[in-house]
Amino acid sequence: MAGKIQSLSEEERAHLLPLLRNAQWVEVGTRDAIYKEFIFKDFNQAFGFMSRVALQAEKMDHHPEWFNVYNKVQITLSTHDCGGLSQRDITMATFIDQASLM
Amino acid sequence: MEERIEERAEAKPRSLTALQEQLIWALLGSGLSRDVLVQAIGELQRDRSSTGGERGERGDGESSEEGEMDFPPPIFRELEKLSPEETAKLRAEVDRLLQEDPWHVAKIVKSYMQQHNLPQREVVESTGLNQSHLSQHLNKGTPMKNQKRASLYTWYVKKQCEISQQFTNAKHGLASAEEQGEETRKGRRNRFKWGPASLQILFHAYERQKNPSKEEREGLVEDCNRAECHQRGVSSSQLAGLGSNLVTEVRVYNWFANRRKEEAFRHKLALDTPFTNQSASSSHHNIPPSPEHGVKYSQQILCDAVSSARGSVGERVGRLVVSPAQLEPSHTLLETHNPKLVSAGVQVLVYLVNYLYMHCCHPDHAVLYPQVSSGGPLPPVSTLTSLHSLSASPASSQGLIMASLPSVMSLGESSLLIGLASSQAKSVPVINNVGGGFTTLQPISFQQQLHGSSQQPISHQLQSHMGASPFMATMAQLPCHMYNKSDSPQYHTVPSSLLSQAMVITEGSSLGTLTSLTAVRQILTADPEELTDSPLQEDSLHMQPQTPVPVSSESLELYPVSQTTESHQSHILSPSPTDIGSYIPTQMVSTAQ
Repeated sequence: MAGKIQSLSEEERAHLLPLLRNAQWVEVGTRDAIYKEFIFKDFNQAFGFMSRVALQAEKMDHHPEWFNVYNKVQITLSTHDCGGLSQRDITMATFIDQASLM
Repeated sequence: MEERIEERAEAKPRSLTALQEQLIWALLGSGLSRDVLVQAIGELQRDRSSTGGERGERGDGESSEEGEMDFPPPIFRELEKLSPEETAKLRAEVDRLLQEDPWHVAKIVKSYMQQHNLPQREVVESTGLNQSHLSQHLNKGTPMKNQKRASLYTWYVKKQCEISQQFTNAKHGLASAEEQGEETRKGRRNRFKWGPASLQILFHAYERQKNPSKEEREGLVEDCNRAECHQRGVSSSQLAGLGSNLVTEVRVYNWFANRRKEEAFRHKLALDTPFTNQSASSSHHNIPPSPEHGVKYSQQILCDAVSSARGSVGERVGRLVVSPAQLEPSHTLLETHNPKLVSAGVQVLVYLVNYLYMHCCHPDHAVLYPQVSSGGPLPPVSTLTSLHSLSASPASSQGLIMASLPSVMSLGESSLLIGLASSQAKSVPVINNVGGGFTTLQPISFQQQLHGSSQQPISHQLQSHMGASPFMATMAQLPCHMYNKSDSPQYHTVPSSLLSQAMVITEGSSLGTLTSLTAVRQILTADPEELTDSPLQEDSLHMQPQTPVPVSSESLELYPVSQTTESHQSHILSPSPTDIGSYIPTQMVSTAQ
């Protein structure tokens, strides 16, 4: 991993987090992370979604914490390197939202 | 979106599970295009199967080659899950090829081999097919049983995978592909072979300058490799795919060195035999790498430049390959002659691969062009390693002559006469094939005279061939060794009792095919105008004339070849009337028209 990823600045947070909140992302209380739960029609759809996210994660080199049971997928995004939210999380969140709609 | 997916899913045949579909969509959505995906699938599978194969000492390959009709040992199935799938795919492809017209597929395989400069030897080693049979099948369409064709096609399919892998890995800078190559099978790589494209480049450069500097050589290396890649339909600089046929600076250096030696040798021969020669100017036209003499042409041609010049009119190359063992005759002959050849007169290509020299020289000498290393006094035989026949001419018009002669080159238009007198002269000594064996080829210097008028010398020289020096090509053993194919790089070596040298004679118009001739006949007809005498000589190695044998004249009489000044004639020399009787096939000599 190149360089040290920076945590989001206050300004950025003020700017970006509202948007995410609108998309049903919630801030995790105990840590600097965001969380969302997705529900799909069935497992196949859920897993298809996860596959798309996985491919993107690899591309970005940024991996979500997630849990899956049948048609439900719970995702938590945070950046380990900086111990909190970073731009990558924001990007990933956006992508995830798109993927869930495909 | 999900609905759409559902519809689509229901509409398609249930060959994929829903999850599989999902995954595929996911892949497609991740930036992979369909084509890339499909290609990647192929590559991955090949990677996997070859890895599995390697682990099993390529048992997958070998065993499936040999045990094609059996199942590959089950153990390999365990090694790689994909292996059976891969095998199944290969088999499917092979089956498909088996359904096609065999000749059609043969042409495909042959052209693929030419494109990638693959030696037949490799095929033979991995399929267990007989090389002679293989060559005949590929070049002439000789029938081959299904089981054998299956192993051939199996090799072909695998080779394609291998090569495409090599190229792909080259792209990725991996050297792993090389490992899969012959290394694992053989102790070493295949012998390097110059491709026609490269040869063209080299000959052009040679014309410009015989002794290029290192920089120039390096430039040539680049050019040649690029040309070879293009020939294989691959983008330049995927060099690893060329494998053992990669052109390097050392090889270029050696090539030039060999050509210079060749030239020196020809020059030396020319000095030895001061015959004037009417060089066939026409012979110069068509040959791109045009040396000043026909002989040179032929050499070059033999060098395989011919194949590059295949289009050119009147190029015929006859080559003869000499077997390593001195007494072992091997020869190839063939010759095609270009109907377009204007040059009247029979062109006789006596192609003697200097087996003599070859024996003396280490055949694998790296320095020399494929086969021969020129050592001190030995003439650098380079080009005469295989017979080529270019520009297939109508079947009828081929004459094959095998004679053991030091070297014969066939010239496109010029006719090389070996000891041939001009048109009338039929004093070609008969090459006598004793019984069924060959006697050692002895270097016989022959001077050819391509004089229209002088015939004596011929008999003189040719005499030497006779009697005592029985070198001949056993025609008998070569039923139809005329290969009428264009640029077939393979030559057929007749085993055992064959001449070690063969003389190939090409005739301007048509030569009777000498089939089943046990005697070597030299068919030389020279058009008076087109004799290229010294060139021939140069190529033919000096031979020590031996006592003239009267036989020649006798034998000559056996051929009442009508001669016209313009016509090409082939004379078949037969050892003796008695022998001849048995040898001479009916179509022996056909006069050219």
